[in-house]
Amino acid sequence: MTLTLKIAAIAATAAFSATSLAVAASEEMVAEANKEGAIAIYAATDLSQAQALLDAFTAKYPGIKIDYNDVGTNGVYNRVISEAAAKQVGGDLIWTSGVDQAVKLGADGYLTQYESPEVASLPSWAVYDKTVYATTLEPIGIIYNKTVLPEDQVPQTRAELAALFAKPEFSGKIGTFDPEKSGVGFMIQTNDSKQRDDYWTLAEAFGAAKGKTYAATGAMRETVVSGENAIAFNLIGSYALDWVKTTPNLGVAFTKDYTAAFSRTAAIVKDGPHPNAAKLFLDFMLSKEGQDAIASKGMPSLREDVDAGLNIKTLNELVGGNLKPMALDASRLEFMEPAKRLEFLKQWHAAVKG
Amino acid sequence: MPAETASVSANAVSSHPTQGVATRPATTMPLPGNARAFRVTVISLLGLCVLAPILLIFYQSFLDGPFFTPASKLSLEAYRYILTDAMFYDALWNTVIMAAGMVIIAVPLGAGLAFLLTRTDVRFRKTLEVVVLVPMFISAIVLAFGYTVSVGPSGFITMLSRHIFGAAPWTLYSLTGIVIVTGLAHVPHVYLYVAAAMRNLPSDLEEAARSVGAPIWRVFLDVTMPMVLPALIFATALNLLVGFEMFGVPYVLGDPSGIVVLTTYVYKLTTLFGVPTYQLMAVVVVLLVLLTLPLVWYQRRLLRHGRRYAALGGKGPRTQVMRLGRTGQIIALSFVGLWLLVSVMLPIGGIVLRAFVDAWGQGVNPLEHLTVKHFGNLIEVPSLFRGIVNTVILSVVGGAAAVAIYLVIGLAGHRNQGFSNTLLDYMVLLPRAMPSLIVGLAFFWLFLFVPLLVPLRATLISLFAAYVIVGLSYGLRLLQGTLIQIGPDLEEAARTTGASIGQTWRDVVIPIVRPGLVGAWALIMIVFLRDYATGIYLMSAGTEVIGSLMVAQLQSGAMDTIAALAFVSILLTGVGLGLAFRLGAKIHD
Repeated sequence: MTLTLKIAAIAATAAFSATSLAVAASEEMVAEANKEGAIAIYAATDLSQAQALLDAFTAKYPGIKIDYNDVGTNGVYNRVISEAAAKQVGGDLIWTSGVDQAVKLGADGYLTQYESPEVASLPSWAVYDKTVYATTLEPIGIIYNKTVLPEDQVPQTRAELAALFAKPEFSGKIGTFDPEKSGVGFMIQTNDSKQRDDYWTLAEAFGAAKGKTYAATGAMRETVVSGENAIAFNLIGSYALDWVKTTPNLGVAFTKDYTAAFSRTAAIVKDGPHPNAAKLFLDFMLSKEGQDAIASKGMPSLREDVDAGLNIKTLNELVGGNLKPMALDASRLEFMEPAKRLEFLKQWHAAVKG
Repeated sequence: MPAETASVSANAVSSHPTQGVATRPATTMPLPGNARAFRVTVISLLGLCVLAPILLIFYQSFLDGPFFTPASKLSLEAYRYILTDAMFYDALWNTVIMAAGMVIIAVPLGAGLAFLLTRTDVRFRKTLEVVVLVPMFISAIVLAFGYTVSVGPSGFITMLSRHIFGAAPWTLYSLTGIVIVTGLAHVPHVYLYVAAAMRNLPSDLEEAARSVGAPIWRVFLDVTMPMVLPALIFATALNLLVGFEMFGVPYVLGDPSGIVVLTTYVYKLTTLFGVPTYQLMAVVVVLLVLLTLPLVWYQRRLLRHGRRYAALGGKGPRTQVMRLGRTGQIIALSFVGLWLLVSVMLPIGGIVLRAFVDAWGQGVNPLEHLTVKHFGNLIEVPSLFRGIVNTVILSVVGGAAAVAIYLVIGLAGHRNQGFSNTLLDYMVLLPRAMPSLIVGLAFFWLFLFVPLLVPLRATLISLFAAYVIVGLSYGLRLLQGTLIQIGPDLEEAARTTGASIGQTWRDVVIPIVRPGLVGAWALIMIVFLRDYATGIYLMSAGTEVIGSLMVAQLQSGAMDTIAALAFVSILLTGVGLGLAFRLGAKIHD
């Protein structure tokens, strides 16, 4: 009994000292970060979406100049590995929707471990090896053309979606994310293939209906708005939630039995020129303030206390209660194996051939 | 897109049966050795700039990982993968069809256009001579996007056609669509070269044919065409080359339906494995260079021996144009009008409309959804705004600097003969065989790994350097075309009165070519303005450019922003073109 108490007491002290340490480090870090005076971010998020976050950070830490590079997921990866090889590291922080790539960078030692004090407010699946942090939660959804597909006929489950594909009037009018041309598309499709037993049935139904594939959610939007496609599925639903506000004939939906969600991930680059500014920025991104700014631009937050936009709780309610976030763990590396990748794509081609 | 720009280049010289100078018998020039130090320095420096990226790519193709990771070993694995990949052969076959299709469309149309504008009394000739060149100057990515917006599956015209006729019987996202779009867009390239050849023809043979009652189309087919056969062959070779290097149009139009050509296959290899597989990309580029090298060689040969074909040489009497007559005029003008409608009005009109609406499609009247908010983004989002500013700086200032560099290279090759000149010729032509996307990537590496260049990486200078190499063959042709116009006697006169070659160049050659330099500057400006592929890997925060921003935005599908950027790009090109014509750019004779 005494032993347990003792351990509890030690644990409590340890916890206490850890917290106070975090706070102390934080003040020191701000001073150091201010001394560094700048941060370089390699990102795959459009600046128009990121601006609110950057503005909020600048308002709080005016002494730190942000150098924001929107270079796409492959650009982020490319820069990190080639700069490391040249020993000319220019980036401090990456912020990418290429979750697999970020985890791989972490596993390959290109990133720095850092335990953010905000970690307590995050779900446990949202951090990989104290290195890669999830910063958003973006649901995978469906968009449809309201004039072609009446709202009451929109599929509510994956099974209904497959049933819809079987209807002759939808032949040639279905779109989805291309796993071959887009890293995010690949991630969404492979994740589904692991999570859902009915994935290949759906893929085959899609193929039989002569569905088409696209490299970006925006491209699918164009085709659905115009009526070229009646419906598109497995795309970034958080974008769609924003679009439907201004586009009268566009609708967005989520299947109630299963809605996957991925996260834009952030991590600190090893040997970056402004390590403290990078830590400060990461902390800020994960804080309520930062998450509010991110959520205000249509990227739902992981924190339940965020109210400037959707958060993990309200989002789950919105999509019908079965939100399945993609965890940041070593399983993300599975499909980074070239052989495994090609095998999936081969299977995909066979399934969607129709 | 080096090839496309390059294709214009040939035209610039074409009007002066140039390089013929090399074959011109004994002009008693002083020994070329006099400027040897200068020539050797320039040629070696150029060699360094051209060969560094090419050798880097070549080396990369024989490794099993990125060249900069220590774990990479020499290996033929990348070649094995590519050469056994079914998609590679798909891409190769599509590329061949695309290039051949382009030739089949562009060469007859371009030749017909040249015939109409040089050999007949077609109305509005002066205006048409300028207008028909416009498609050549629109960025390929803008053009492709324009077609998507107007006649794509969800395009405005497609919608309209479905509304009126109940159907829209065309598919833009097909190989046929790509071939038609690229074919029509490259009509000016053929026109320029063939027109230049036709202008030099005396008209007596045509008159003879007319006097025995041959209709105009017979004259065109049986008399005029055979006389400009070398020009036609040259234009064909040129278009094949352009077809092999084309990236923007197949990227935008082929992507949705999964059609790949070699250049887009390279791009696709990046995402296929989740991480960039440089060795595979390098292999495809090496194969591409090997495929196009014979074309480059053949083109150079044609240029060299151009004069041998000039069977009817000499300045004949003023050519007499053929009368088309009323019906002929109507047919001719409809032909030109239709082509302009399809290759200029459709894409540009589509972009202008798309840039100002935020909803369209079935059951939506786009005119009720007019907005200027897409442009608000361009001002509010710093990177987009910087992109516009940078593009202007690179075009205007960079263009001028590039002309200066090309002039130095041009002088190094001026009245130079022998091996070093052959070397120079190939060095100028080589980068043309590489997609500018890859030139950009190679320069990204050079600026990262060459210690001296490192501080310049995040500046516009890195982009400028890549642009100079990408625009090299076009720019040099422009300059050589100007330099060659100077009669050797002027230089000889200077030399006999004791001037050194340096003085001759400074006091005789450069002052004479100055107007030509200004024209060249305006044209290079447009070339830099329309580039989109070079910056894809190279640009970073602060060095964004419009073209590459559009490609980047395409990945996230931000069509509103792309439309606004494309609109700005068209405006800037318009300004550049206006300037070019005002400054008397010698686009043709």
